[in-house]
Amino acid sequence: MALLATASLTGRAAQPSNATHTHAHKVIIEDMRFNPQTLVVHRGDRITWINRDPFPHTATATNGSFDSHPIAPDGSWTYVARKAGEYDYKCTFHVTMKGKVEVR
Amino acid sequence: MRRAVYLLGAVLGSSIALAWAQGGSGAPTDPQIAAIVVTADQVDIDAGKLAERKAHSSDVKAFAKRMVTDHSGFNEAAVSLAHKLHLTPESSPTSESLKQGGEQNLAALRKLRGKAFDKAYVDHEVAYHQAVIDAVDKVLLPSAHNPQLKALLMKARPVFVDHLEHAKMIRSSLGAQ
Repeated sequence: MALLATASLTGRAAQPSNATHTHAHKVIIEDMRFNPQTLVVHRGDRITWINRDPFPHTATATNGSFDSHPIAPDGSWTYVARKAGEYDYKCTFHVTMKGKVEVR
Repeated sequence: MRRAVYLLGAVLGSSIALAWAQGGSGAPTDPQIAAIVVTADQVDIDAGKLAERKAHSSDVKAFAKRMVTDHSGFNEAAVSLAHKLHLTPESSPTSESLKQGGEQNLAALRKLRGKAFDKAYVDHEVAYHQAVIDAVDKVLLPSAHNPQLKALLMKARPVFVDHLEHAKMIRSSLGAQ
């Protein structure tokens, strides 16, 4: 009861959130590839890159919008996509590794 | 029945040739393949460690560091898998040839410095990675029996391909200087 009264006073529990529903996405880095290679998300969505290779990688936007810096083996890095656009990215360590994020 | 003599790393100067002739001792066994993979990685780690210290160009130094990091990481995974599969790596003419080729390459590189070192190291990296990819495709993958060992080779292949492309890019940029 005390909890309900507190929530009611602050108004937090009574009001539904106006925030747009956002999603979480995963990009698996494995065998020198970003999977999926092209990811389509909406503004505000979270993208997590997970490195399953036994050595580090990066996810680095070619226009400088985001840069994970080294993601260790079994490590991950999360980015919230705020601005609409198409973002090509690469691993700065490996010349063959390229990916794209489309933010709508 | 097709039988093969497989000689990877027939080293002449800084070049590596892959010779796979008909007749002879047959395809490598799984324990021999495990040793070939581990040796191939180690040879490149050793060359990379030397180049990290001796390379003149910062691009070559960074490439060498990448070779050490990637092949060390991959080797740990390979050794761990071999252990899990109760696969004791077993030396073969191929793994011995790779080891000797690696030692000869190190001996040749130690005599060089500056731009000559960079060129010799990068040229060798191009030839070496191409030879290893050929070996994976023509000898190791067709010969491997254990599915997990095959899977490991499939995982190794894109690593070698990336390193080959990277080495070629650096070779072009060195040539342009």
